[in-house]
Amino acid sequence: MDPVLLIALPLFTAFLIPVARRIWKPSAEVLPFLTLGFNLYLMISYIPRALKAPIVVVIANWKPPLGINLTIGPLGLFLALIITFIAFLVAIYSIWYIRVEPKEKYCMLCMMLVTGSLGMVLTGDIFNMFVFMEITSISAYALTAFIRDRDGSEAAFKYLMIGSLSSNFVLLGILLIYVGTGTLNMADIASKMPSMDPRLAMAAVILMVVGLGVESEMFPLNGWAPDAYSMAPAPIAAVFGAIVVKGAVYALARMIYTIFNFHSLFYFLVIMGIITLLIGEMSALRQKQIKRMLAFSSIGQMGLILVALGLGTMGGLVAGLFQILNHAILKALLFLAAGYLVYHSGSKNIADMDGMGKRTPILALSFTIGAFGIMGLPPLNGFWSKFFVISETVKSHYIVIASLILLGSVIEAVYYLRVVGRLFFKPAGENIKAEPLPLSGFISMFVLVLAAIVIGLYPNWVMHLLQPAARELLDKQFYIHSVLGQ
Amino acid sequence: MIYYLASISLILIGTYAILTKKNLIKIVLGLSMIESGVNILLVSIGYVHGKTAPIFSNLSMKASQMVDPVPQALVLTAIVIGLAVTAMALGIVIRLYDHHKTLNIDRIRQLKW
Repeated sequence: MDPVLLIALPLFTAFLIPVARRIWKPSAEVLPFLTLGFNLYLMISYIPRALKAPIVVVIANWKPPLGINLTIGPLGLFLALIITFIAFLVAIYSIWYIRVEPKEKYCMLCMMLVTGSLGMVLTGDIFNMFVFMEITSISAYALTAFIRDRDGSEAAFKYLMIGSLSSNFVLLGILLIYVGTGTLNMADIASKMPSMDPRLAMAAVILMVVGLGVESEMFPLNGWAPDAYSMAPAPIAAVFGAIVVKGAVYALARMIYTIFNFHSLFYFLVIMGIITLLIGEMSALRQKQIKRMLAFSSIGQMGLILVALGLGTMGGLVAGLFQILNHAILKALLFLAAGYLVYHSGSKNIADMDGMGKRTPILALSFTIGAFGIMGLPPLNGFWSKFFVISETVKSHYIVIASLILLGSVIEAVYYLRVVGRLFFKPAGENIKAEPLPLSGFISMFVLVLAAIVIGLYPNWVMHLLQPAARELLDKQFYIHSVLGQ
Repeated sequence: MIYYLASISLILIGTYAILTKKNLIKIVLGLSMIESGVNILLVSIGYVHGKTAPIFSNLSMKASQMVDPVPQALVLTAIVIGLAVTAMALGIVIRLYDHHKTLNIDRIRQLKW
C-alpha cells in the first residue's frame, strides 16, 4: 500500500463528505471514522519497517533532492500515530456532541485539519511543510468560529491575525533558506547548511523560530491560545491541543536540530520553555472558566516540552517525545470531559460545577484521571514523562531550571485539585442535568483513560519506539544519508 | 535592489497597519499588504539580469535563457493561500459586525485576561 494514501485519504474524505451526505444522511459521521481507522491500520503496519530506516517515498518519480518526497521515519510515524489516534477518538466523540446543523462542514474541516497535520509531520520538503501548515491553520481558524456567537468570532479573528502573520514570517524564512542554499529539500538543506552565509542563516532561523513559535505557544506569542481554546467547541479544543500544536513543535524541532546548527538556540529554547511554563501555570491559577484554565495549562505543558527539547541530549529528546505523547492523551481526555461537564452544568464557570461527582460519577472520574495524569501522580503516564524530563534537566546541569519546573508542578497541582475537590466534595447545585453519558462520549473517554493507565504501567513499550525517533532527530548525518543516499 | 526595498517597505507598511489601525477592514487590508510584499520579494529574488520568463514560448528556447522558476512556483502557491486567508478574514469580519454592530476594534474586547 502506497504511503501517500496516509495523507491522500483524509483529503479525499474531506471532499467526499458533503456529497455523500446528500445521498445517505449519517455518512458525515461514518466516513471520518472509517478513514481514520484505515489510516491507523496502515500506520501500524509500517512500524517494523520504519524503525530500521526511514521509508522515503518518492513521488512522481522525481528523486530527492529535486522532487518532493515523504520521509516516514520513526519520529514522523510516532507523531502521525498520535495525530490519527486522537483524531479517531474525537471523531467518535463528535457523533453525539455536535448537533448543530452545519455538521458536514464540521466533519469536512476536521478531516482537512488531520490532512494538514499528517502532511506536516510526514513530509521531507520545507515548502511542502509550509503548505500543509497553512491547510492546518486555515481549518483551525474556521473551526474556532464554528459556534456562531460573538465570542467565537472574536477569538477566531485574533487567531487568524496572529496565525497568518506568523505564516508570512515562516515563508520569509523559507525564502532566505532558498537564497542561501538553492534547494528546498530538508535533507539537502541540512547538508548544504555549513556553506551558507552565517548572517543569512541567523536571519532565517530567527524568522522561523518566531513563525513556528506562534503555533507552538511559546511565551510572548501565545496570546491567541486561551481565547481559541475556550471559544471553540470542546472536541475542537482537544484537537488543537493534541494535534495542531504537536505538528508545530515537530516543525520547530526539525528546524533547530536537523536543518540549522546554532548551538545557542538550545539554550534559548530552554529559557523560553521555562518562562512559558511558569507564566502558563500562574495564569491558569486565576481562571474561573474551565476551558480557559485548561488552555493555560496546555500552554504550560508546551513550555515543559520545549524545555525537554532544548536540552540537546538523547535522554532529553526521549523525555520530550514521551511528554508529547502523554500530553496529547491527557489533554484530549481533559477537554473531552470538560465538554460534557459544560453541557451537563449549563455554564463554563468552575463555580457552577460543584458536586457533579455525585450526579455524573463516570464523567467526573475521567476528568480526575486526566488531572492526576497531568499533575504526575504515579500509576499514570504523566508521572513517567515528568520524571524523565526533570531527571534529564538535572543531568544536563540546569539545576535552577529543574527547581522551577518543580515549582510549576506545585502550582499545577493547586488548580487541578481545586477543580477535582469542587467536583466531588461540594454539595450539588440545582441546574445540573443528570442525563446518562452518551455512548460515543463514554467510549472515547474510556479508551483515553485506558491508554493513560496502560502506558503508565508499562512505559517501556513506548520507549522502544522513542529511541530510534530521538536518534533520527539528533543524528543529522543519519537523516541526510537515508533520504539522499537512495 | 529597488525591488527588494519596495517589497520590504510593503511588508513594513502592512505590519504598521495591523498594529495601529482601529478599523477591522484596515487591519485585514494590512494583512493582505504583507502577503503582497512577501510575494513580490519572493519573485524578485529569482530574477536574473537579462533573462526572460521561464515559459517555452518557442520550442528552441534553452533553460539558460530563463529566470529561476522555483520562486515563481512558490509564489503561485502563496498567492492562493493568501487569497483563502483574506477571504476567511473578511467572512469573520462580517460576522463580528453582525454581532457587535461596530467595526472599531477597541469596542470588541469581550475576551479579557
